[in-house]
Amino acid sequence: MPVFFYAFAAVSVIGAIALVCFRNPVSSAISMVGSFVGLAALFIGLNAYFVGIIQILVYAGAIMVLFLFIIMLLDLKAPSAFKRSSPLILVGGLIIPFSFVIQLSTVLSEVRGGDPKALPLQDAAESFYDHERDPDNQSEIYNSLQKKSLPDVNLIGLTLFGHKGDNASIRTPGYNFPLQIIGVLLLVATVGVVALSLKRKQSKSGGPES
Amino acid sequence: MPAYWLEATVVILGLILLLIEAFGKSVSRELVRRVSIGGLAFTLVPLYFAVTPPTDNAELARFYIYDNWAVFFKILAIVATILVLLMAYDYRKVLNQFTEEPGTDHGTGEFYALPVFACAGMMWMASARDLVSIFVSLELVTITFYILVAYMRRQVGSLEAGVKYLILGALSTGFLVYGIAWIYGVTHTTNLAEIGIAISDPDSALAANPSPLFFGLSLMLLSLAFKIGAAPMHLWIPDVYQGAPTPITAFLSVGSKAAGFIVALRILEPFFNSEITKSQTTLIVLIMAGLTLLVGNLAALGQTNFKRLLAYSSIAHAGFLLLAIAAWHPGDAGSLSTHQVVSLYLATYLVITLGAFFVLVVVRNADDSDEISAFDGLGRRNPSLAVCATILLSALAGLPLTAGFIGKFFAFQLAISSASANKVLWLGIGIGFIGVAASFYYYLKVVRAIYWREPAHEKELPVPRISRFVILSLTALTILLGFWPNPILWLIGG
Repeated sequence: MPVFFYAFAAVSVIGAIALVCFRNPVSSAISMVGSFVGLAALFIGLNAYFVGIIQILVYAGAIMVLFLFIIMLLDLKAPSAFKRSSPLILVGGLIIPFSFVIQLSTVLSEVRGGDPKALPLQDAAESFYDHERDPDNQSEIYNSLQKKSLPDVNLIGLTLFGHKGDNASIRTPGYNFPLQIIGVLLLVATVGVVALSLKRKQSKSGGPES
Repeated sequence: MPAYWLEATVVILGLILLLIEAFGKSVSRELVRRVSIGGLAFTLVPLYFAVTPPTDNAELARFYIYDNWAVFFKILAIVATILVLLMAYDYRKVLNQFTEEPGTDHGTGEFYALPVFACAGMMWMASARDLVSIFVSLELVTITFYILVAYMRRQVGSLEAGVKYLILGALSTGFLVYGIAWIYGVTHTTNLAEIGIAISDPDSALAANPSPLFFGLSLMLLSLAFKIGAAPMHLWIPDVYQGAPTPITAFLSVGSKAAGFIVALRILEPFFNSEITKSQTTLIVLIMAGLTLLVGNLAALGQTNFKRLLAYSSIAHAGFLLLAIAAWHPGDAGSLSTHQVVSLYLATYLVITLGAFFVLVVVRNADDSDEISAFDGLGRRNPSLAVCATILLSALAGLPLTAGFIGKFFAFQLAISSASANKVLWLGIGIGFIGVAASFYYYLKVVRAIYWREPAHEKELPVPRISRFVILSLTALTILLGFWPNPILWLIGG
C-alpha cells in the first residue's frame, strides 16, 4: 500500500526537518518523537513488527523522554542561546546536502528497482523443519512461516544466536561474536560516563569512597 | 591456543584493572599502572603461540580472520598501547591537575584501564573480515577514545576536544552505517570475501551498473578517512590532538590510525582485485591521497604549537600511506605488496611518532607549554634530549639513514612502479614530493628552535627515568631501522 508508505515517510521527513528548524529544544525533541513514530510505522509496513515496536518503546518512549527531562532540567533559554550563523556557513550548509541529494537521486534513478518480489517464505520454512520432531509438533517459527507470516521475535533471536537447520550437524551461524564485542563496548561506555561525571565526596582521610 | 583468546585475555586484563581500581585498598594508582603495562607485555607471549582458530566454527570463521596482517597489526596495537601507558605514567603530573581533586591521583584509575579496552578493539579490528565485526570493533575503539580525549575534565581544551570528536565521530559512524547498508543492498552480504566474489562477476547486474556500489564505497571511505585522518574528514584532527591529553593524542595518531589502515586495506582489497571497480577505486583513493598530502603538509607550515604540528604531520603521513594504497600491488618476488609497504610504514611511523610525543611530554612537564617556543634552546638546556629530538624530527621528515626514509622510500617506489600502468598516479607522486619538501621545512623549524634560539631561561630540563629509557631506545631503533629494516620485513614476510 504505497499510500501509507508515502504518508508515514512524509511524517518522518517533516519531523526531521522540524527538528532542525525549531529554535526551542523542547519543540525539537517533540518533533523528533514524531519522526520516530513515522519511522516505526515504516518498519511495521515492512513486516518488521519487532523493530517497529522497539523503535516506539525505546527511542520514542524511553530515550526521547530522557532527552526532554534533561532539556527541562537544564532550563535552556532557547532563542538567546543561539547566534544567527553567517550567510557563508548557510550557503555551505545548503550546497553540501544539496549535492548529496542530487548524487543520491542519480544513483537511485539508475538502479532498476523492478517490482518487489514476495519473500520466499515456503523455502525459509523448510530450512527450519526439524526431522527429530513430529510433523505436527514443529517449532513456532516453522508453523508461522508455513502460514506465510514472519515470526518476527523468534526469528530475531535465532538470527542473533544461530540455530540448527534441517540438517542438525550444520549450525547456521549467528552474531554471537559481534554481540560480545558490543558487550565490551557498553561496559566501556558505562565506565566512561562514571569516570567523566562522578563527583567524589571530599573525605578527610583521602579514601576513594564515592 | 586459538587466536581469539588473545582479545579475551586483553579484555580480562581490562576487567581486572577496573576491579583493582574500584576495590583496591591503595589510594595510589601505582598498581593499576603496573598491572596494565605488565599484563599487556605478557600478552605478547601467547601471541607467539597463537594458532588460527579451527574452521569448523562457522560463526567465528565468518567474522574473524587470523593471517599475517592480523598478527602484525595486533603486535602494533599492543606495543603502541604499552608505550602510551608508559607515557601516561610520566604525564600524570599534568593529568592530575585537571581531574577530580587536582593534584592527587584520585579519579585517574580509568585513564590507565581504558586504553587496554581500546587495545582489544584494535586487535579485533585487525582480525575483522566482515562489515559487521569491523563496525562493532571500530565503535569500541572510537567510544573509548571519546572518553579518553575528554578525560581532563577540568580543562576546557580537553572537553572541547572531546565534544568535537564526539560530534564528528558520530557523523562518520552515520556515513559508515549508510555505506554498509548500500553495499549490503547491492551484494546481499556483509562478508568481505563474499563481497569480493559478488563484485567480480562480469555478467551480473552489478557489473552493468556499479554506481550504487561506488556510492556505498564512497560513504564507507569517508568514514575510514575520519578514522585514519585523511582529507576531506581531517578537520577534527588539529583541535582534538591539541586538546586531548598528550598520551591519548599519541595513541590516536598511532594506534587508532594503524587500526584504521588495516580495516581500510581489508575493505578496499576486494574492490582493487575486481576488474570492474579497480580503476575508479584507484582514482577515488588517489584523490584522497593528493588532498591529504596537500592539506597536511601545507597547513603544517605555519604552526607554532608542537602538538598541532604533529597533528598536521599525522595527516601528511596518512597521505603517503594512501598513496601506497592507491598504487595497489598484490606483491611478487621482486617488490613489496601494498600490505607490506603500509605495514612497514606504520611500524616505522609508530617508533618515530611515539618518540616525538615522549619528547613533548618531557618538555611539557618542565615548562607547562606545548608551543614550539618551549623547545627554544633545548640544545643548551639538555643536549642529549636535543640530539634525540633532532633525530626523531628528521626521521619524521624522511631524512635518509633514518626509519622515516625507509617508509617513504618504499611508498614512493610502489607508486612509481605502478605508475607505468596507471599514468594518473604520477600526479599523486608529484604532490607527494612537494609534501616531502614542505615537511623538511616545518620539522626542521623545530630543530632550528632547539639549537639556534635563545632559551627563555637556563633551567635544567629533567628527564624522568622511564621517558629517558624509552626515548633513547626509540631513537636508537629509528636509526637502526634506517639502514637495517629487516626485522620488520621478517615480520611481514618481505
